[in-house]
Amino acid sequence: MKKYLPLILLILTVSLFATDVDKKQIIPDLKVKLMDGQKITIHELLKDGPLLIDFWATWCKPCKKVMKYLDQYHNEYSDKGFKVLMINQDSPRSMGKVKTFIRSKKFDFLIGLDPNQKIAKKLNGLIMPTLILVAQDGSIQWRHQGYMPGEEKEIEHKIRLILGLESESSENDKL
Amino acid sequence: MKHYISLLLVSILFSADFDYNASIITNFGDNYDFYSYAENQLNLNLFYKDIEAWVQYEYSNPPEIGFTMNDIRKFRIEYSQDDYTVKLGDIYEIWGRGLVLNQFDDQSTNFDNGIRGLFLGYEKGPLTLNHISGNAEIWNFGPDLRTPYYNNSHNVIANHIQYDWASYSLGVSQLLSKEVHQKVFGSDAYVNHSLKGIHGSWTLNNADIYLEYVDKISTEKLNLLYDGPHDSLKTGHGFYGNMNFYFGNFGLSTEYKRMAFDVGHSDFTADDYGNRIAFQAMPTLGREQNSTLLGRVAHQFNFNDERGVQISLNGTLLNVNIVSQYAHLSRNEEWQSLTLFNWINSSIEGYLPSSDPSALPYWENYHEINGYHLNDKLYFKLGRGENKDILKTLRYFEGEGISVNETWIHTDSTEWQDDWVYLDSSLVGVDTFVYKVESKMWQVSKAITYPLELSYSFNNGYNLAINFEYQEQTKQNISKGNSKLYSTSDSSWTLINPDNPDSFFVQKDNLFSYGTKQIDTQINRLVSLTIGNASKWSITFTHDQTNAFSGPTTIDPFYNPLEAFIYGDLKYFTGKRNKIEPPAFIQNRWVSMEVAYNLTSSQRISILYGSLQGGLYCSNGVCRQIAPFNDGIKLSYFAIF
Repeated sequence: MKKYLPLILLILTVSLFATDVDKKQIIPDLKVKLMDGQKITIHELLKDGPLLIDFWATWCKPCKKVMKYLDQYHNEYSDKGFKVLMINQDSPRSMGKVKTFIRSKKFDFLIGLDPNQKIAKKLNGLIMPTLILVAQDGSIQWRHQGYMPGEEKEIEHKIRLILGLESESSENDKL
Repeated sequence: MKHYISLLLVSILFSADFDYNASIITNFGDNYDFYSYAENQLNLNLFYKDIEAWVQYEYSNPPEIGFTMNDIRKFRIEYSQDDYTVKLGDIYEIWGRGLVLNQFDDQSTNFDNGIRGLFLGYEKGPLTLNHISGNAEIWNFGPDLRTPYYNNSHNVIANHIQYDWASYSLGVSQLLSKEVHQKVFGSDAYVNHSLKGIHGSWTLNNADIYLEYVDKISTEKLNLLYDGPHDSLKTGHGFYGNMNFYFGNFGLSTEYKRMAFDVGHSDFTADDYGNRIAFQAMPTLGREQNSTLLGRVAHQFNFNDERGVQISLNGTLLNVNIVSQYAHLSRNEEWQSLTLFNWINSSIEGYLPSSDPSALPYWENYHEINGYHLNDKLYFKLGRGENKDILKTLRYFEGEGISVNETWIHTDSTEWQDDWVYLDSSLVGVDTFVYKVESKMWQVSKAITYPLELSYSFNNGYNLAINFEYQEQTKQNISKGNSKLYSTSDSSWTLINPDNPDSFFVQKDNLFSYGTKQIDTQINRLVSLTIGNASKWSITFTHDQTNAFSGPTTIDPFYNPLEAFIYGDLKYFTGKRNKIEPPAFIQNRWVSMEVAYNLTSSQRISILYGSLQGGLYCSNGVCRQIAPFNDGIKLSYFAIF
């Protein structure tokens, strides 16, 4: 039991801070290389409005399933400044197919490249898909891991909530 | 004490109003085979102005694979200002497509090629400069499937320059490593590696091209006291090219590779050194499968000696997504066995892979359609994958033999005891007859797999999914020719029928069996049924079945209540089951049930009970054999804060 003590204390410490509702977690201003070669930072992407970050790979089944909905939301709420940034984690093994996959689907959302999970590790997006919804002020509003069919409704609700198109009270009715 | 100091440090950092995020991964497993593990990992990222820090703490006793640990496993401090970045700690970088440097830490295969040291970066406009120096401890597996055995220690200095302008990009890189290489037999080898690489890309509206080349030289220090120049041990090169084309709703990706860092007829072992080093994790040109059964027949890529092509088509037609892929790989040489142990090689002409079995070729093709129907409520996927892999050659000779026929005439004879006896003869002619000699034997695995997936989501948030995978696999030793043996006394291949050199044969020996019975085709079926409530929970039942094994049939002496329930074995529950002789039905089946529950949107717990079949597991081109998990429980918890 003594061996576990440092770990338990560490988890408790982190959990205590994690439940500190008054403290806003601000997303770090990480550099992202986009698929078209452009380099941009996360805070630059937040200039116009909120941002939804999703970590994905071409071999990840649930990632591909949720993509069509995320592209739909990216287009539907773009007039409110909302953007979706899909951060790809394909290794060089399948990196050659990322562009053809995206272009064949004609997706409009932004594609970031993170082949050795530098960004994913900094944002703890190691499970795919991991969604991170960031408000325009940079504060992380919501995190979500995995995707099951039907969860797209909750994702859209959270986006609408952050855009002020829905209120918290309507959450139960919506879901 | 170190851990308490870390804890104190973390608390202070939080109080200093740092931004942070953290994740906790906990895995626990126990089964009757004593395959128990308990691993806990905490990842903590801290951000304060221009400073970033990362700490990974692990308590594993023992981990699923790897070393037992109760310590800070990884750490890094980064400082960025304007165009400069300095990193101190565990460095993970990728340059180009990884022919010189691609670093990752994959705990599922226990592969970690991170460098502990210093990173300096400068990035301004189109120019990027990187420098890395430090040490890496790279571990490889030996006889034990769970604990690494062989250690390669590297002292590394690496530099990279990249310039991007408009649609062009050009980069050059260099990596120097001093390695202490642990061998299977004998003392450690001291090897210096020098890699020089160049990569470039060009992007157009409807096409793009990427090319990368690396040249490698290694030298071995044979005398530790001698400090002068040493002879080169091995030289090699690697090339990778990728061209993509886009037309309408379709994208075509074409890839070519040629990796020639070492030459070997059989598998490379820890005693083969001076070739490709672990920092070189380059494209493999095989499809990264997400089907369990296709993953089990994955090709074990050879990073040292392999060339190949891959073509992959992605597209959408009538709202149906289409995936079509083909790959063909082989070694860079064809091999001939002059004797059973003496092999010689000849380079394959041209640039394309060979289909000759002696070059150990591998083919795969995969075709899939998937899409949504019924107002996006129904998702379907139907695939077909085919693999053919020449696993090894046991003998491979094709040449000529000479038969000599002499004609004699008898010049003197006499009759003795009613028979003629020749007293003298003269050789009047020698006829030589040249015939073909062929003695080949190789091992081949062929598999056809059909992955099918259907899922339906209901309006009330519930969803139902069924995955079904069917696979037929054959594994054979194929012998071909008119000879099976090499005679060391005659220094030649012995014909099966010396009187008739044209007696050619083809023999196929199946390598699958069940108990003592030989099986022609291994048939695998994997069914999983998932019922879930979106964002809350899911229950998955998995049934994995085979009819044959490659190698001895393992006897599972226990079976779990889930398996007894599925097969209606009431004796199990009434206490009348035979505890010594397990029922036949369970010997070739693995049944499990997993319940996953989302405590919050960022905290997930899952419990699996039952048995899982082991087999080959590959990730990032690194493969390992996973031991079966019999009649046990697995518990996982993952949270991000």
